[in-house]
Amino acid sequence: MASHPQLADIGSDYAQRYGFRDPEQYFLKAPKGLSHEVVEMISRLKGEPEWMRTFRHRALDTFLARPLPSWGNTELLSQIDFDQITYFVRATERQGESWDDVPADIKRTFDRLGIPEAERKFLAGVSAQYESEVVYHSVKEELTRQGVIFLDMDSGLREHEALVRQYFATVIPAEDNKFAALNTAVWSGGSFVYVPPGVEVAIPLQAYFRINAERMGQFERTLIVADEGAKVHYIEGCTAPVYSTHSLHSAVVELIARRGARIRYTTIQNWATNIYNLVTKRAVAYEDAVVEWVDGNIGSRLTMKYPSILLKGERAHGEVLSIAFAGPGQHQDAGAKAIHLAPNTSSKITSKSISRDTGRATYRGMVKVRHGAHGSRTAVQCDALLIGEKARTDTYPTMEIAEDDVRIEHEARVSRLGDEQLFYLRSRGISEDQARLMIVNGFIEPFVKELPMEYAVELNRLIALEMEGSVG
Amino acid sequence: MSAEPVFALDVPGLEKSLEAHEEPEALRAMRRQAREVLAGMALPDRARHLWRYTDPRLFVPALDAPGAAPADSPAGPAPEGPRSAAVVIADGAPHLLELGEGARRAGVVVADLQAAGVEGLLGSAVPASHGFVEALNAAAWRGGVLVRVPAGVSLEAPVLVRVIAGRAGSVSVPRVLVVAGEGSSFEVVESHVRGDGASTRVLSVTEVLVADGARVRYGLVQRWREGVVGHLTVRARLARGAAAQLSLASFGGAVVKADIGARLEGEGAEVETYGVAMGGNRQHLDHHTEHLHAAPHTRSNLDFKVALTQAARSAYTGMIRIAEGAGASEAYQENRNLLLSEHARAESIPELEILTDDVRCSHGATVAPLDPEQLFYLLSRGLPPGQAQRLIVYGFLDQTLQRLPETTRQRIEALVAERLHEEH
Repeated sequence: MASHPQLADIGSDYAQRYGFRDPEQYFLKAPKGLSHEVVEMISRLKGEPEWMRTFRHRALDTFLARPLPSWGNTELLSQIDFDQITYFVRATERQGESWDDVPADIKRTFDRLGIPEAERKFLAGVSAQYESEVVYHSVKEELTRQGVIFLDMDSGLREHEALVRQYFATVIPAEDNKFAALNTAVWSGGSFVYVPPGVEVAIPLQAYFRINAERMGQFERTLIVADEGAKVHYIEGCTAPVYSTHSLHSAVVELIARRGARIRYTTIQNWATNIYNLVTKRAVAYEDAVVEWVDGNIGSRLTMKYPSILLKGERAHGEVLSIAFAGPGQHQDAGAKAIHLAPNTSSKITSKSISRDTGRATYRGMVKVRHGAHGSRTAVQCDALLIGEKARTDTYPTMEIAEDDVRIEHEARVSRLGDEQLFYLRSRGISEDQARLMIVNGFIEPFVKELPMEYAVELNRLIALEMEGSVG
Repeated sequence: MSAEPVFALDVPGLEKSLEAHEEPEALRAMRRQAREVLAGMALPDRARHLWRYTDPRLFVPALDAPGAAPADSPAGPAPEGPRSAAVVIADGAPHLLELGEGARRAGVVVADLQAAGVEGLLGSAVPASHGFVEALNAAAWRGGVLVRVPAGVSLEAPVLVRVIAGRAGSVSVPRVLVVAGEGSSFEVVESHVRGDGASTRVLSVTEVLVADGARVRYGLVQRWREGVVGHLTVRARLARGAAAQLSLASFGGAVVKADIGARLEGEGAEVETYGVAMGGNRQHLDHHTEHLHAAPHTRSNLDFKVALTQAARSAYTGMIRIAEGAGASEAYQENRNLLLSEHARAESIPELEILTDDVRCSHGATVAPLDPEQLFYLLSRGLPPGQAQRLIVYGFLDQTLQRLPETTRQRIEALVAERLHEEH
């Protein structure tokens, strides 16, 4: 496979455009392992303000002091060797990786999904520049005219320091959990989005992230602020598999929807099946605001991700719609949290999971209604589909209700890919493979229809791939 | 791993309590073993949700005075209503009140557990390793009852076991073992009563062993006086084709934690669990249920209702686990919580762990206030508010109560009425 000139261009003028400092005098790749020296180097290299530097150091102390979670898949978690991870890499340092090293099944998946040539190498991590930073930013002139800020987080901090400082880590403090602390200490890349009052962003904002150096962690940091009455839809990730050898991905995503604002955040996560994906995502919704997490988890070895919404203002509304596909050896430990802090708030959580072969899908959720949040309503619906006698599914919902004038509902259903449905479809002359795929597609339909068209098409192709060989 | 400090369980008085027993060497050996298990245990991590809502330290007593002094008369008044047998556990000892002629002739045994020769059975459903409360009970139980019904025997009327909590400052550590022979069919009602105000503690364990094809209905009625701190553990083991109905009525006490469940070990076994809990004042109720499907073609159903008034607090956690190889199984679980006061608080965690695909499984949980439309309707018919509320609560609980045996249902209805009348 020849390299493509247009791809080599990506990010080549990055330094000029974003005023990135030439890091030569420092280092290009942090040594393996985590220490205050590494944190100091990252911050210095980026030329960050003092408060951010201090912030990172404090977060590192928190990370080091905190134990790993004692819940969830502790067996897999305990296998993470934090000393073997490179916490910061500059793309120009990456060497000796070529398209030929990318595993055949990943290439085949690219083919089958119809991923454009230009994106393949980028996704496989063998061609684009500047690893830990966002490459794929197309800030439309229109947005700029509207006053919308859409930058990678590093640039955001440089160009809009006051705004970033006002909101950064206000939704997810470093002390929130061990992995949020880790991210706060070593974050790099991610997006910063600010939508001014009353502005509606007509097109979804998209960002591709990737991991592509040996044992390199990706710690992107995203902050989206929709000011009063603003509207924005942000899309993270892609359906194509994102390849890397052994890695930890630990992002922090904070959303702030001010009065009357609407934010939809769509994720399609398809990391290669050796990656740990331990992510903290949380939103605050003020009066009359609406926040929606649309969250699809297909890849990774272990994902632990529970998008949360703090309903802080009266009549705020939150929704989480998620699917998880756990194939052989994968554990998708995903869920959602809705915390009702104000009166007449509402939330809706819909979770669908498919476990195939030795795959395990876990729904872990939390709904809290605090005293005073009267008139609140919440409905949680979990559906699990099992394919294969070794498949596993768990449902761990938690509801804590401290208010009598509320309506709380939770429902879960577990079923196998049904013989009766299969029999019916086969009796109509549909092949077994085809029939299974139809059933699975029907099962995840409510999720797929919320995706932009091109994503929906790719997701359907991807599910078809995942379902191959599921017969018997 | 957690960095929380580990408490070595140090229970003053335990040694003395162990020495005080005159009993067969086999039982002594079991106690020693349990004590060793206990010595290796730490108090549960509060982050683990089974102990998330209740402080485990409340159940670590000084065992200086197990059973303590009798409350009134050791046995108290005899239970009322029809029964095949009646036994009272009070003051750390069982007192057999009666064993009906029919039951006796059929070979039914209702006896002191200490003299019963139950090696191999005792501890088989609730081993000392179950948890620190269960280990404590296994080491230090006093006042044990064996109920054994031989194969093929059916009893019309229930076997009544009444457990009387001791005086203030006392600790009761009762133990009940129910053994159902193949194809037998009967009902046992275990009721926990009295206790004298603050710092009365009860740490109770009951095991129900249900052999092939047997049908057992087991009712646990908790109506302690105010102030009692108690922990109730119940486990049933079901063999091939066995069926059990477990019911829990939980009304009294200050802090109550109950852990009841069944292990479906034989093909075709079935269990139904029904729970009705009402809390008022500042009561703290923490109920856990567990249905473990370990064999194919097993079925379980669970319906747990909680109604709370005043500043009562309830946590319900339920687990359905379907093991690998337990295919063609079905499991259903429902938990509904009714909040009758703005200060009441309810938690609900209905959990599923499904390790095979050939299952049908669902659960549902709700937390809601009195339906204002229902209330409005009843008020518009001229009912006073108190009575209207009672009617709605009866309606809420009725669906669950309907599934219980007549006598148990009547008992519980009386308790509901009592509780609701206290309110107004």
